Amino acid sequence: MSHLFDHNGAPGKGYAQPKPLLDGSELSLPDNLVRKSLPRWPRLSEPEMVRHYTWLSKRNYGIDTGFYPLGSCTMKHNPRVNEVIAQLPGIADIHPHQPEHQIQGLLSIYYEMQEMLSVCAGMDAVTLQPVAGAQGEFTAVRCFQEYFRHRGEHQRTKVIVPDSAHGTNPASAAMAGFEIIEIPSKVDGRIDLDALRAVVGEDTAAMMITNPNTLGLFEHDIAEASELVHGVGGLMYYDGANFNAILGRTSPGLMGFDAVHYNLHKTFSQPHGGGGPGSGPIGVKQHLAPFLPTPIVSRREAIESEQEQAVDEFWYTWHEPEHTIGKVQQWHGNAGAIIRCWAYYRRYGKELRTMSEHAVLNANYLRHAIHREAKSAGVDHMFVDGAETVVAKHEVTLSLAPAKESLGISAMDVAKGLLDMGYMAPTVYFPLVVPECMMIEPTETESKDTLDTFAEDFAKVLQVDAETLHNAPITTPVRRVDEVYAARNLCLHHPFDE
Amino acid sequence: MVDQLPNLGREKEMLQEMGFDSIDALFADVPVGVRMNEDLPLPEAQSEEELLADAKRLLGSNVALGDKVSFLGAGLYRNFVPSCVFQLITRGEFLTSYTPYQPEVSQGMLQAMWEFQSLISELISMPVTNLSLYDGSTAAAEAITCAVRVHNRKAEQKNTVYISELTPPDRCSVIYNYCQGAGIEIKKLKHHENGLIDLDDVANAAGSCAVYVEQPNPLGIIDGGYPALKEIIGEHTALIVAIQPISLGLVEAPGNYGADIVVGEGQPLGSPITAGGPIYGIFGCTKDYLRLMPGRIVGRSIDVDGKEAYCLTLSTREQHIRRHRATSNICTNETLIALMGAMHMSLLGPEGLEELAIRNMAACTYAKQKLSSIEGLSIVHQHQSHFNEFAIEVPDTGKNCLTFLEDKGIIGGFDLSWWYPDQSNRLLLTFTDQTSGQDIEQLATELQSWVNEVVA
Repeated sequence: MSHLFDHNGAPGKGYAQPKPLLDGSELSLPDNLVRKSLPRWPRLSEPEMVRHYTWLSKRNYGIDTGFYPLGSCTMKHNPRVNEVIAQLPGIADIHPHQPEHQIQGLLSIYYEMQEMLSVCAGMDAVTLQPVAGAQGEFTAVRCFQEYFRHRGEHQRTKVIVPDSAHGTNPASAAMAGFEIIEIPSKVDGRIDLDALRAVVGEDTAAMMITNPNTLGLFEHDIAEASELVHGVGGLMYYDGANFNAILGRTSPGLMGFDAVHYNLHKTFSQPHGGGGPGSGPIGVKQHLAPFLPTPIVSRREAIESEQEQAVDEFWYTWHEPEHTIGKVQQWHGNAGAIIRCWAYYRRYGKELRTMSEHAVLNANYLRHAIHREAKSAGVDHMFVDGAETVVAKHEVTLSLAPAKESLGISAMDVAKGLLDMGYMAPTVYFPLVVPECMMIEPTETESKDTLDTFAEDFAKVLQVDAETLHNAPITTPVRRVDEVYAARNLCLHHPFDE
Repeated sequence: MVDQLPNLGREKEMLQEMGFDSIDALFADVPVGVRMNEDLPLPEAQSEEELLADAKRLLGSNVALGDKVSFLGAGLYRNFVPSCVFQLITRGEFLTSYTPYQPEVSQGMLQAMWEFQSLISELISMPVTNLSLYDGSTAAAEAITCAVRVHNRKAEQKNTVYISELTPPDRCSVIYNYCQGAGIEIKKLKHHENGLIDLDDVANAAGSCAVYVEQPNPLGIIDGGYPALKEIIGEHTALIVAIQPISLGLVEAPGNYGADIVVGEGQPLGSPITAGGPIYGIFGCTKDYLRLMPGRIVGRSIDVDGKEAYCLTLSTREQHIRRHRATSNICTNETLIALMGAMHMSLLGPEGLEELAIRNMAACTYAKQKLSSIEGLSIVHQHQSHFNEFAIEVPDTGKNCLTFLEDKGIIGGFDLSWWYPDQSNRLLLTFTDQTSGQDIEQLATELQSWVNEVVA
């Protein structure tokens, strides 16, 4: 083990700093605010620090390490040129308060991203400000709220969410002050139009839904659902978590949605770095555009005096929407993530559609290969598809309920068994409508060979006896971690000698 | 031609094995009425070489702060971050990992984040911290809603919080958006003409849910009145203090003068400004707020063999379990940027932090000395202690002053009329460890010649 706080060498050996412009004794602070004792931080030299973090990195699994089939998280390859671009001083060393004429290049990229995202989703206007998918959801429902207040429709206090939705949907709408109406899904996780019909009314503000749904199935009744909600004057919200499945094949606009958030880090690849950063722009139809957060980028033809600083024939400016809800992040969103996603998009251009097709091809092929290998190994009785379907979209679900019933092998056991085979485990126990659920999303990144090998290894795990699987993993840096112990014996920072 | 897809050219083989004749068959479940029938109206795919050329042309046309002499800060600070931070952060095992839902193969990031919590806890003197929120503004907003959840039941002024009137409008707007859903009313606390908080006015906040102030305040002032705040507002009103983390190498940690929640913009430690994101929000609190706080937390635990191990803990507060009753909707946070912060902190060590704080404050103090000799220009709060920045009043509009300086190759600071519309002749000037004595002397010279021009 390497512990950061075990390093306690000589003061100031981490890195030498230039002399200050004045001596510390020439600085004055209010007497009652002079820090009495410095933080008890460790002291490391650069060689020690580099070794510590390299050691830690080796105890972590990323897409670069291997297959990362974590359903709903769209873990695709991050092209390294994106990292090179994001470190250029023209983005890394830019201040959001710099005047427009100093950042025409950046504004032009923002504009291009707004336009591209609008086109892909069939929306009319886009803000890049929200910094995560959940914040995008929150931003959109805030826009809905102001839209209804503007129209005097104060009675619209309810947001409808299917029970299979991501937890962020109800959490975001509740944060904005809406009451949540959860409706049950059908057994295949699809929307139950009767259940929807029973709850819509003049108090409906919106319905939040993702399509394909969390089981990876396309909601074929989506246009009808939109009609139902619009019929009572409500708005339709598209959770873009699964947008990678449909780009260029259909769009939220075509399905009747009024607003959408994009998980740029999923659909367009911003390395997720252990849980963030992300980026969660939203797109809206024209009637909601005046309520978007401020500012967004607009453009006009450049005049002669601007031509020296212009990057093309246009002049790009910040624009405040007429009835803006204001800000959801203090600056201009996660600009660094937006630049990486711009770079990612540019590598595909109009062939973004091919990207989505390959994501869907891979998911369907993997489902096929898993069944094929399980059958040939004689373990196909241990699981069933999470939902019966001819085709899936970007992800597939399996239910390990048969294995649990007959052998006591749970989805979690299989997940831990896969860790021992050198994989990241799929998402387990989500969505809740599938018992002993395992949710697998290969993305377009994986080769046929990887998918075939994974399917073989999956079948191998199912051949392992229950007791061995209960004890898995055994090859990882630690074995099963006691989460109950962690919660009962809270240790949230280095204890020193307390 | 697209080059990122390993199965290009193998589509047919894969489809045939599944018994499909075309990719279209995989989308047969999309109803005809909602299908996109035309190609996306987007340009052709670019090679890496073409992309790089475009990126360099477009981003290269921006004026980077380092291209000029810059005094622009106002909430984000240009500090030196050692090279090894940037090198280590590109380790694919860190860079390309997701939220550590499988702790057995995520020990590296989990331990690194537990160490981050430990470093921040020590820095701000708080027993509990999370793995980061989006930025300083959302951290402030989440702190306020958290305080209301904890205190509202017993509060005399229900659903009411008080924030400093100096809080920049952009940050206020974020706070408002986060608070309005819970029906929280935001009232303002007055500051004296000398920039310090009006402690008599603070007395009005007693019995409310929370008081929010910033140290240094938005005008760079270190306010010696803050240690009196907690006693004035009382035990049942949360004291929330937002900090600039580097300042805590010299300035007392808010946890040691009564703060209940400490938030802040983490960016100065470990991260470039990057046009305002991704950066990271710091959030720390006392144990009273633990069960109702936002964001992910790592706990130290053991594995089945009793071996030291780390995992996410207290997840029942979070959206994926508690859904609409969660303490926040946050899911994705800024872990990778927080990791850069942890790396920077671990190289600094305690004495390095103090040295860095001295360098930042020294640059600011040196500038104050130089600029105070310019006739016709005044330093607004001359007699206060400043960290990183201070306001000046100029004999014409701040805007005109900035235009003049720009012609001389200087990004002259922040026009305070953006925040406070009646202050069109004030600028906020920022000095960090990246400001040289020569930069300041050049600024003083150019300001003097501008003042001469304007006054004449």
